[in-house]
This record gives sequence, structure tokens and C-alpha cells, in this order.
Amino acid sequence: MASTTKEPSSRVGPDYRPEKQKPTATVSTEVPFDNVHTLPQTPQLIALLTMIRDKNTERADFIFYSNRIIRLLVEEGLNHLPVVEHTITTPVGRDYAGVMFQGKICGVSIMRAGEAMEQGLRDCCRSVRIGKILIQRDEETCLPKLFYDKLPEDIADRWVLLLDPMFATGGSAIMAVDVLKSRGVPENRILFLNLIASPQGIENFAKKFPKSRVVTAFVDQGLDEKNYIVPGLGDFGDRFYTI
Amino acid sequence: MDDSRHTRAPYSPPWADVCIIGIAGSSGSGKSTLSQAIVSKLNLPWVVILSMDSFYKTLDEEGSRKAFSNEYDFDSPDAVDFDVLVERLRDLKAGKRAEIPIYSFAKHARQKETTSIYSPHVLILEGIFALYDQRVLRLLDMKIFCEADADTCLSRRILRDVSERGRDIEGCIKQWFAFVKPNFERFVEPQRKVADVIVPRGVENRVAIIMVIQYIERKLVEKSKDHRAALKKLGQSSEDDPLSNKVVLLEQTPQIRGMNTIIQDIDTSSEDFIFYFDRLATLLVEHAMNNVYFKEKTVETPQGRKYRGLVSIGETSAVVILRGGSAFETGLKRVLPDCQTGRLLIQSNIRTGEPELHYLKLPANIQTHDGVLLLDPQMSSGGAALMAVQVLVDHGVPQEKIVFVTYFAGRIGLNRLTKVFPGVKVVLSTIVADFEERWIEKRYFRC
Repeated sequence: MASTTKEPSSRVGPDYRPEKQKPTATVSTEVPFDNVHTLPQTPQLIALLTMIRDKNTERADFIFYSNRIIRLLVEEGLNHLPVVEHTITTPVGRDYAGVMFQGKICGVSIMRAGEAMEQGLRDCCRSVRIGKILIQRDEETCLPKLFYDKLPEDIADRWVLLLDPMFATGGSAIMAVDVLKSRGVPENRILFLNLIASPQGIENFAKKFPKSRVVTAFVDQGLDEKNYIVPGLGDFGDRFYTI
Repeated sequence: MDDSRHTRAPYSPPWADVCIIGIAGSSGSGKSTLSQAIVSKLNLPWVVILSMDSFYKTLDEEGSRKAFSNEYDFDSPDAVDFDVLVERLRDLKAGKRAEIPIYSFAKHARQKETTSIYSPHVLILEGIFALYDQRVLRLLDMKIFCEADADTCLSRRILRDVSERGRDIEGCIKQWFAFVKPNFERFVEPQRKVADVIVPRGVENRVAIIMVIQYIERKLVEKSKDHRAALKKLGQSSEDDPLSNKVVLLEQTPQIRGMNTIIQDIDTSSEDFIFYFDRLATLLVEHAMNNVYFKEKTVETPQGRKYRGLVSIGETSAVVILRGGSAFETGLKRVLPDCQTGRLLIQSNIRTGEPELHYLKLPANIQTHDGVLLLDPQMSSGGAALMAVQVLVDHGVPQEKIVFVTYFAGRIGLNRLTKVFPGVKVVLSTIVADFEERWIEKRYFRC
């Protein structure tokens, strides 16, 4: 079951800096799917990930630094929403040819770890509606099972930002998208935001839902025998809420 | 770094080539009062009085014993450390920051602490030997000698030494006849010959004060004109030039454009304006942080696996250009909650448009920080930005460590800044027409 890809490494830093002045780090694994968007591998993002991956990082720091990454994920996710041209007049009387956001959105977090991403979403979208889905692994069948959901009534008319920080096998995310689709949300209006993904999870999801989009900060090397992402960062929910 | 030096355009801040006025005269002749009168008449924030008392030599044991029994000759040129004085004056003349010693009359020694003088446009050097040393004379723009009747001098000196310097009357009189009077005849009085102006009767002499003030004012007008002309000249060569690769413009994604639309729309409510400005400011600071320096660091994850990542090399601090820059602070604190933050107030003169530095408070050891974010939401001519970077450079921050963060800027301003300081990085969200009136802070602070 355990499988990993080779870890890609690259020099990271701003373009104006000569190559030899840029430090080398492991960067996100490339995946061949058009509907998967990985955040730009900037040195700051790598440093933030280094911080939350480190087993010695304490909970307060873990929360703060993961929140910073989540905010960047939300900002990137929102870029996939439609806009229309909109020209306005500035306070100094100059015209600005800008754009206006189109369509309504909502968040849906997969409990419990996904709820950790709600603050980041609220930082960018005030008073956003947030639904919740509880999916747990069934002890007998070892398959994910839907235990609970509470979603906005008009969710079928909204764009959905689906939140779950760790994208391992993709089992929960796939089940969550099935739930959303059963409530009338078109597949192409679902954006799945996560911090760290595995190539296997991405492949399962991207093939099953080619019209949905995945926005991730980092695609890791793979899964271990317990289906944890490696190198990963451990159990996100535990590190955020209890440890 | 080296090759960029060749292309560096010259910029000289208004505090370079400070106008130094030397005021000498006998003890008690009214030098300090005259200096203070000049300062209050000029009524400008950049006039500083430097008393030569700060430059007394620290006394050895023997000298110290003598000083406490009023036998040490403080009124001889030998008591003054002219070498340090000349060095500090040269630093100030070059526009640099100078650490001025503090002399304790109670201990007859320099204190550990110093006070720093930075960016005065006019410096008044006041002391009995202000016109004594040849090296000092060469640095002076105007030389004044104060004169007063000897009886007046003695009585003033007794009053001052008893109330301010903790001496007794007997000691003062002993000093006067043993040292002050003979030294006056030998060293002080001859300075009259090198003076440009001799001022009898001190502050009562209003004609003399007005004359001095007019001279200084004329000098300041010339400097302001030169500064503005130099700024303008920097612009002429930069209008059509391509932007430096150290200017990093945020990718114009639909969200960035959408936020820009809300922020710039005159019909946006204040609540929305502040919310979206904070959101964009957070993104700008996140991007700015890509321009500090990182090193490799391998960590172990809870899975027991290694990850080859990065960690920033040192501390990053911020300097806010007031008042506009403080609109960035909410965004700054979301990224760096405990960031050390310096502040400086630069205002454009209403009449001339010349940027002026009014206030400055920087974190101690800012020169040791690995990155310094300089925050100002709007840059039009680049005058304030140039001045702020110059202030940081004068405080020992290498320009390579400075990241200027702004919401929007014009091309001329960007080119000026990066031509004068090629090492400085600029992070911004929008490029606008040149010379746009400042309005971001008015919207953000609602006044």
C-alpha cells in the first residue's frame, strides 16, 4: 500500500536574486491535472510549511503559521470565482477599469480538521455562510461514512469552498463532493482547499471530478502504510486542537 | 551589489551639508540664551543646539580630585576633546547620525549613555571655545562672538553654577579668578578676530538676532530649492526607463483586481474600504516577506520523516512612514504579530511640496535585522520614500535588507527610488499615473 514518489527539490527565491544565492528546499510534487492548482513555491511559503511540519513546533505557533497558509489558500481559491468588468471612479476623480465579484459563495468544512480553516476563510470573506460535514471511518468496513451534515439551504445556488487541510487518500473529500452534488451543487462550482495533498489522493479526486478544482499549498511525496501523508505534518486536527 | 553601485544616481537629503553656526564668548556672556533665542525665533523642528560642555574630557584620578576641589581648569582649551568634536561635526555635515557624549558635572566623567543627533538642518555649536580649533572653523557657516560686561558674566556664572551644577559660591569665585579670567584674556578673547559677527548685550540685542535669523532662513531656502531641484532632476532621467527587476508587482489576479476596484471606488463604504485594504495589505506583507533572506533547514515531522525546508535567517522589523504607513499595521500584525516597528513622520511642505522629516523613532539595533519592511501605502514622486530609505541607510541598515511596501506607486517614483538605491526591493499591488494626490490615509482614517 505504501508508495512515495521521488522528492523534487529546487532553489527558491525572488527572480532578481542570482541562483547561487537562493537556498534549496524540497518543493511540491508536480501533478498532471489541469484542475489542480498548487500555490507558488515561494521561500516564505516553504518556511511556513517547514514550521508546521516540524514536530517540535508548539500548538500556538502551529495555529498561527497554519492560519497564514490557509489565508493564502483562500486568496488563491477565490481567484477561481467569476468576475465581470466594472469601471469605477476613484476619490481623486480618475477612472479605474476593474472587476466585480459575481455569484454567491459559502464554505463547507469537513469536521473536525476542516473547521480549523474557517477562520482563514472569514479573514477574507466576512459573514460567509459555513456548512459542516462529519465523515468518519467506519470501524467495520474501514470505509468513510457520512455521520452528519448541515448545509446552507440555498447551497445549490452557491459556489462552495470545501475545506479539509490534509488530502490523503481523498476518501472523505470524494464523499463530501458526492454529498454536495446530491444537494444540487454543480461539480464545477466546487473548490476543494487543502494544505497538504498526496499524489494518490489528487489522482483519485481529479479523475472522479474533472470539473471540480483543487487548490493546495503542497503536494507531498506519498502515503505511508497507515495512509498518512509523508513527510506530512502528523494529525492536523490533533496538532491544532488538542496536542 | 558592486555592479549596482556604478549606476547609482546621487541623492542628497536636506540634512546633508547642515548649516553650522558657532557661538563663542566668555562664560556667562549669554551664549546659551542667544542660541535658545535663535531656535525659538526660527521655530523649525530641525534646529539643534550642541553645547561644547558635552565634549569635556573625562578626567583621570588626579584631574578628578582637582575638579572636586575647584582646582581643575575647565576654562582652558586643554579640557575640551576637540578630536571627538570635529569627528562628530564631520559626521553631521555628511548627513550621518552622530552620537553625542553626555558629560556629568557631578562625576566629572562621560556617562555611558549618549544622545544622538540626526538630520538637523541647522546646528548651533555653543561654547567658550566654539571658534578655537581650526578644524572646527572650517566646518562653520557662520561665526558669532558674544560679548558682555565682566561683572555681568561673573554674576550669571555664579547663579548658574550654584543652581544647575551643584557648586558653592566660594568655589565659583575661586575658579573665576584662578582660571576663568586669565583664560578669557589668553584664549577666549582672541576668538573675536575670527568671528563674522560680534554680538554685544546678548539677547537684548534684537538687531543682531534678527540679522542672524535672516541669514539662516536664506540658507534654508537655498537648501530647500536645491533639494527640490535635485529630486526633479532625478525624475527627468527616469520617466521612460524600464522598471528595475527589484520592483515586484503582485500578479493581477481577479481577486487583486476585484479588491482594487472596491478600494479605489469612491462609493465604497468606510467599513468595506478598511476591510479590503487590510486584506490587501496582509497579502502585500506576505509577498514582501519573500524578499528577506532564508537558509536551509531540515525538520522531522511527527511521522518521523525528514523535510528539507527553509527558515528565515534573522529578525524582520518594520518602519512605518506616518501617517499613511500606519494603515498597513493591521496587515503587518496579521503576518508578524510581534514585529518591532519603528516610525517616522514625513510631511510634504504645503507651500513647496518638499518632503520634510519631522519625527523619527527606530528599533534599537535595527542595523542588525535581516529584513526591514518600509511601509507607505502611496508613493507618487518618491520624495518621501527616498528620504525614509536614506534615514534607514544612515542608521546602518544596508539597502539590500530594505523592502519598500506600498499599495500603489507611479513609474517616476519607482524609478527614482530604485536608481538612487538599487539594492532596495519594492513590493506593490498597482502602478498608477505619476503624481497622484495622497488619499489612501484619508479614506482609511476617515479624516
